[in-house]
Amino acid sequence: MQGLVEILVLPLIGAATITAFKGLMPKRLPGIWASFLVAVSFILSVAADVRLSSVAASHRVISGVLWNWVTGFGPAIHFRLFLDPLSAVWLLIITGVGALIHIYSIGYMHDDAGEPRFFAYLNFFIFSMLLLVLAGNLAILLIGWALVGLASYFLLGFWYERPTAVAAAKKAFVMNTLGDVGILLGIALLYVHYHGVSYQHLFQIFNHASPGSAFFEWTAFLLYVGAMAKSAQFPLHMWLADAMEGPTPVSALIHAATMVTAGVYLMTRLYPLLRLAPVTHELIGVIGAFTAIFAASIAFFQQDIKKVLAYSTLSQLGYMFLGVGVGAYTASVFHFMTHAFFKATLFLAAGSVIHALAGEQDLSQMGGLAKKMPWTMASFLVATLAISGIPPFSGYFSKEAILGQAYTSGHFLIWAIGVFTAGMTTFYMFRLFFLTFTGKPRNQELHAHAHEAPAVMTIPVVILGVLSLIGGFFGHWLNDWLAPAFHQYAGAGFAALGSGPLFGTIITVGLAVIAFFVAYWLYVARNTAPKAGTQSAPGVWLLNAWGMDNVWLVFVVNPLKELGNVMLAVERGILAGVVGIADGVQAWASDLAPIQTGYVRRYALSIMVGVVALLAYYLFRVGFIS
Amino acid sequence: MFLVWLLAVPLAGALAALIAPARGAKMIAAITSVLALIGYAGLLFINRAGVNWGWIPEWGIRFHLSGDGLGLFLLGLSAVLFVAAVFASDKDQGRAYYFWVLLLEFSVMGLFAAVDLFLFYIFWEVLLVPVFFLLTNWSGDRGKKAAMKWLIMNLVGSFFMLVGVVALAVIHDQNGGGLTFEISKLAGMPMAGGVASWIFFAFLVAFAIKAPLWPLHGWMPDAYGESPAPVTALISGVLSKAGIFGMLRIMIPIFTPQFQQYQTWLLIVASIGLVYGALMALRQKDMKMVTAYGSMSHMAMMALGVFSLTQVGLLGTTFYMVAHGLMVGALFLVLGMLEHRTGTRAIGDIAGLNRSAPRLAAYFLFFVLGALGLPGLPGFAGEYMIIQGLVTGHVVFAVIAGIILIVAAWYMLRVFQAVMQGPTRSTGIKDLFTGQVVWLVPLAGLVILLGVWPAGITAHAVPSLFHVMHFAIGKGGVQ
Repeated sequence: MQGLVEILVLPLIGAATITAFKGLMPKRLPGIWASFLVAVSFILSVAADVRLSSVAASHRVISGVLWNWVTGFGPAIHFRLFLDPLSAVWLLIITGVGALIHIYSIGYMHDDAGEPRFFAYLNFFIFSMLLLVLAGNLAILLIGWALVGLASYFLLGFWYERPTAVAAAKKAFVMNTLGDVGILLGIALLYVHYHGVSYQHLFQIFNHASPGSAFFEWTAFLLYVGAMAKSAQFPLHMWLADAMEGPTPVSALIHAATMVTAGVYLMTRLYPLLRLAPVTHELIGVIGAFTAIFAASIAFFQQDIKKVLAYSTLSQLGYMFLGVGVGAYTASVFHFMTHAFFKATLFLAAGSVIHALAGEQDLSQMGGLAKKMPWTMASFLVATLAISGIPPFSGYFSKEAILGQAYTSGHFLIWAIGVFTAGMTTFYMFRLFFLTFTGKPRNQELHAHAHEAPAVMTIPVVILGVLSLIGGFFGHWLNDWLAPAFHQYAGAGFAALGSGPLFGTIITVGLAVIAFFVAYWLYVARNTAPKAGTQSAPGVWLLNAWGMDNVWLVFVVNPLKELGNVMLAVERGILAGVVGIADGVQAWASDLAPIQTGYVRRYALSIMVGVVALLAYYLFRVGFIS
Repeated sequence: MFLVWLLAVPLAGALAALIAPARGAKMIAAITSVLALIGYAGLLFINRAGVNWGWIPEWGIRFHLSGDGLGLFLLGLSAVLFVAAVFASDKDQGRAYYFWVLLLEFSVMGLFAAVDLFLFYIFWEVLLVPVFFLLTNWSGDRGKKAAMKWLIMNLVGSFFMLVGVVALAVIHDQNGGGLTFEISKLAGMPMAGGVASWIFFAFLVAFAIKAPLWPLHGWMPDAYGESPAPVTALISGVLSKAGIFGMLRIMIPIFTPQFQQYQTWLLIVASIGLVYGALMALRQKDMKMVTAYGSMSHMAMMALGVFSLTQVGLLGTTFYMVAHGLMVGALFLVLGMLEHRTGTRAIGDIAGLNRSAPRLAAYFLFFVLGALGLPGLPGFAGEYMIIQGLVTGHVVFAVIAGIILIVAAWYMLRVFQAVMQGPTRSTGIKDLFTGQVVWLVPLAGLVILLGVWPAGITAHAVPSLFHVMHFAIGKGGVQ
């Protein structure tokens, strides 16, 4: 327990103090204070991980109970904190990447009037996310789970006067509530059967259970629904594309590096349950693969720099779930880590671009920024190579590990989809890179004013860019580190990093190289306009994101509203009935003797008088008052 | 003796408010409500002993009050909410207003403490009156109509209940146990099935009207829509709980077999109410009505907890009553402040208030989040326990309840965003005054405390619930 509370509470203190004293703080102090606290949290996290590594590998857990959360029916549900190698990885990324993004935001938000509020929210997010990964049972996890959703709601709707931002924030919140409810039902089922919801308690029991019962399938599926919503898996993915309405550092931190990977955390955490639910486990992989290719296809024609990155995040999350689905747990965590590096780099670099172009996000207004913003361009390029899976950049290693294990575990179709999607990724990412940084400026005026971002923004981007370059070499270290976590319970037999056949790697990398040249030929050699192809039938279909918004509208939202209209009609009937009865009573009463005059008012008073008289009479009678 | 204090102080305060100069009435009411709150603190922390005095011996009626875990926290909810409601009331409402408010506090305290059925009935009846006059004289244009509906529907309910109360005592007498209204003595007594069912439904109707539960909520829209915010807060926050509380206090111990017999139907009707309230809330154009129907949906959730007939479900309901009362009461008060400042309640008339009134927006959002059941705030813990109670044997209803949680997020955020966010159209709206922050901060703090530490209540409520369910458990009715 030592140290965990401090790690958790520091960002909360930041959020509270900034909210309370923002009026008294000089400009920039909120940002510095918030960044400082997260940085301290990071240092404490490193210290906690070092302490954790000194615990015997057979039981590598630091855990403790703060207080009883709820009691009264069966064993208490504790407010328990818990650190094991798996949560330790998340801890480092959340506080480490979180601190860098905080620092970047000092520059990015410096001329926004809501700056203190922004940092209070950002710190609150870090607190919530830490609670999510440090929770020692599913109930406390769900609290963190919902609070990160709330923080996302705050930050996504940060510019609350924009109707689109407000609408996006609501959509994200409601869709995530759907996920919360899935987890809630899953927890309730688990508690009813096993009288507890702490990981250790449940996993001990799961160790002795045999797979395949409907109970396990349902429980796993309900918990997976939560993961789906948070990690934007098809068909609960739409909120993430809309979430780009938030400030760009938020997109980097919440909607790319950390929060949206909470689903991956939950599913890897629950590997002992997934062993018992083979159908759900398979489904996770299938939907992951589908999400990967589906989102990649939508990214092809996007016109907004952040939208491309949003769909690429969706696609990469698909890879992580694909990894979970084939049992490649370490590889999924590995990909989470490298993705946090390269996607944060991409978003922050994109943020620098947007910042330099006075808020412009449209690709048709960009182009030729390489010379103006060399550091940003270099970082963006490294991260693009990383996400494209070009060796030796980080994404290559983690993606190869996932795909290799998909192949060796016999999931050929999933493997093929993953390989093909890797090629698609290279294409649309280099399309984005070329359209942004190379060629002639498409908007001379914006281009003339563009400039490299200040050091407070560039340095975090470059650090993350370097991590995107070298992050792939952390694989073996990560493998060793996670091994104790995956050896503790049955179900993670293929968790360790593996590799696939050589021809698989050759195909994947070959496709990526081909896709690179196609993108180069189209957008550099032939200087194709960003809008090219968007008028074609597939272009319209893909830009419209396969029309999934409409599907939800037609099959869920509108029927609910229609049902509401039916209820409105019923309500009119009920109310009319009440009025009828009331009038009837009055009419009936006024026909009676004068003493029942029908004045309800008088009747009400007479109840009062009667009761008081009764009370008084008997109080005297029993001699209580006298 | 703190229980007696809790009843005597509001009664004395009511009389004092009546004879005080009109301008001092609010001060007197404020002092009274705070004194009652102090009394409650004494009850909670020092001495929870009840009183049991003879009253009408030839009918076996006793003045029996108890501060057991079932009513204890509802007493606390009332003590807190009455302070907030008095503080939030207008200064120039006049002495009669405060007289009725304090009289309402007296009757509510009596209701939550009474363990004699007849005494319960007396308080049940008395509380109709203050609300009736508050609706008649201090409400909007249709206040008189609202008051009429309130009184008639509730009197119908009371009539049924009176028949039930007398019938129970008579049956107990005929069984040879003597004439008594002591709930603990009536609990578990043998009754012929047919008669028992009639009495069961007599109580059920009375309690369902008060909550209100679908389809007996006809009085609700007008009463909620027309009453001034503090009165709405009291009706929704405290009085609605009286209905559910009655089910726990009276019906569960006495009518377990009937609950079991009709359980499926009860669950179905409550679920209809749950869905109905939520979808109505979604379609309302008036912020206050969104909250009102949302609250009705939540009352159905509490009923589901009772009807689940599980220990965890009943416990969830006990907890959720307090949590919901605090949050929905506060929400109505905040809505009242909003209406006071803007002069409208229609969604779409105002937008972007966050710019000029950020603190008001923050508290509004806080209680909105509480009402939609955000994990970490207390509504969630209550809903969790209720849903767990349903999962045990009635998964379908658990799923319906879960889906409605999603709809709740939708309709609550719809209100918040429409008013507080979007392009600023209304400027010059004053933010919260210090006098309002003073009671909002502790209220919010209490809500957070209950959210992170529900065990503070559940641990204390359990022994009483065991007592209530004693007979039920014996028959295997409650798991």
